Amino acid sequence: MTDARVLDADVGVVGAGPAGMVASARLAAAGLSVVVLDEGQRAGGQIFRQLPGGAPHPARGAEPPSHARGDTLLAAFADRDVTLRRGATVWDARPGRLWFEQDGASWLLRCRRIVLAPGAYDRCVPFPGWTLPGVVTAGALQVMVRGFGVVPGQRALVAGSGPLLLPTVTALTGAGVEVVAALEASSRWRALRALGGVLGNGGRRREAAWYARRLLGAGVRLRWGWTVFACEGDGRVQRAVIGKVDRDGRPRRDTARTIEVDVVGAGFGLVPSIELGLRLGCAARFVAARGGHCLVVDGAQRTSVPEVLAAGEICGVGGAEVAMAEGDVVAGTILHELRGIAPPAAAGRRAAAERRAADRLLAAFAPLPGLHELATPATIVCRCEDVTLQQARDAAALHGTSARAIKLGCRAGMGPCQARICGPSLQALAAGRPDQPMDLPVVQLPVRPVTTATILAAPAG
Amino acid sequence: MTADARGAVTFRFGGREVRGREGDTIAMALWAAGEPVLRRSSSLGAPRGLFCNMGVCYECLVAVDGRTVRACTTVVREGMQVEPGGRP
Ligand SMILES: Cc1cc2nc3c(=O)[nH]c(=O)nc-3n(C[C@H](O)[C@H](O)[C@H](O)COP(=O)(O)OP(=O)(O)OC[C@H]3O[C@@H](n4cnc5c(N)ncnc54)[C@H](O)[C@@H]3O)c2cc1C
Ligand code: FES
Repeated sequence: MTDARVLDADVGVVGAGPAGMVASARLAAAGLSVVVLDEGQRAGGQIFRQLPGGAPHPARGAEPPSHARGDTLLAAFADRDVTLRRGATVWDARPGRLWFEQDGASWLLRCRRIVLAPGAYDRCVPFPGWTLPGVVTAGALQVMVRGFGVVPGQRALVAGSGPLLLPTVTALTGAGVEVVAALEASSRWRALRALGGVLGNGGRRREAAWYARRLLGAGVRLRWGWTVFACEGDGRVQRAVIGKVDRDGRPRRDTARTIEVDVVGAGFGLVPSIELGLRLGCAARFVAARGGHCLVVDGAQRTSVPEVLAAGEICGVGGAEVAMAEGDVVAGTILHELRGIAPPAAAGRRAAAERRAADRLLAAFAPLPGLHELATPATIVCRCEDVTLQQARDAAALHGTSARAIKLGCRAGMGPCQARICGPSLQALAAGRPDQPMDLPVVQLPVRPVTTATILAAPAG
Repeated sequence: MTADARGAVTFRFGGREVRGREGDTIAMALWAAGEPVLRRSSSLGAPRGLFCNMGVCYECLVAVDGRTVRACTTVVREGMQVEPGGRP
């Protein structure tokens, strides 16, 4: 049954990750009414995961130093008078209005300021066999272990690119899984450039040292310049073909070898979740090292649309420290605008410094164009619609190389994921233009799928 | 990894009885029970299962009481009847 319901608050926050939690705890502490909407069942976002029931996951002892901050943050968040709505999916927005579905009911939140902090999701690169059951994103494995205490398998392959491969490996080894191979597509030389982002920042330095010790202790060696070429198996993954890639990520087929695994986690960085921002009309720009299209914000975390602010991965992938620092700036800006309290300059400086450090680090892991050569003509590129690379190429040749033309030509990107999975590589693959940015995605309603009943019953704003 | 102290929940997937833990999503309970296949793909009919585990990819669609839901965001309930999903 769907009933219409309306809520009012000073501030509506989308996302109870580090960015949303820091912003809302500070705003509530200053006496503003704050409603936080999160699709998940618990606060914490992607990084500070808790098991059902609120217990920290059992592998917590096997967590990097940065994750310990989550406990403090979660406690501070719980203490404040913040209304957290769990299992609340935001599916449409206008300035001052957020529509969401919760437990089958259709809700409208009216607020004076909107804070967008919806985070990011894994970037996928299609390769033969990536649709086999048992092949999942690197993030999926982390959620499994750290969010649900499920042991993913016995023999795992972790492949992809970027700093998130490390927590994926440590989550697996912490859960007793043998990590048969851990493959980073970037070369060691390219990664050396990232050292600037690590060495200059105390927190990141400690974090890197912790992972290095942890991997050594578990006997896992991260192989640089390697990736997964293909996955094979009868109805589920049983083997993976791995090998070296050149500086641009092109597979060196002569180095291929097969390993036996029962679970594969592949993640080539993250893509910011900008759909709600686009729906609100916020300006976006393409920054490859930040994961692609990101919302444009000023030094006070204001988007181009009045009364809409954004913090964390939606402004470009940067990790939890950036998200928390930007959440703090958001709170300062809103308290300034609504309460006339001057924002502390230190908060802005800290956010800018964290962002600089993250940008330097992530530049070493910007998507490698040659990885698009992993897919063969028969490889599925759009999982929702079962479209192969050949079909996408034919569509591009016939209809043109814009995302829209490819979509119309072969249905790739028309499925329920709204091109979140295929989008970041579809144009590069279909049009053979690996170095150019993809078109800005077109947002469809609902931004996240909800029932038709919810849409029909949506309170008028 | 040590087990947490969650209660058991029993539900059915495609007619088979599956035991999960309170608070598990359908996808996590099935994965833990050794069942990674959740549906067949739209035109090729190939087996598909969990992929992103965070609600964005829609690979995990299943039917619960005739309604299509994402297995990775839907929490299991005692006695739930889950059927493998078909077309998204
Ligand atoms: C699986 C995964 C694991 C990660 N692990 C680490 C790690 O170990 N270390 C590290 O430094 N970084 C990690 N990261 C990077 C992570 O993105 C940042 O560290 C940090 O969590 C970003 O904070 P955030 O507040 O911007 O977003 P998030 O933490 O992603 O939080 C966003 C929240 O918004 C909610 N949401 C999104 N859209 C909607 C909507 N439409 N309606 C309602 N709710 C919505 C989501 O459910 C989520 O809880 C990980 C990322 C992923 C995807
Ligand atoms: S596995 Fe991606 S939506 Fe469920």
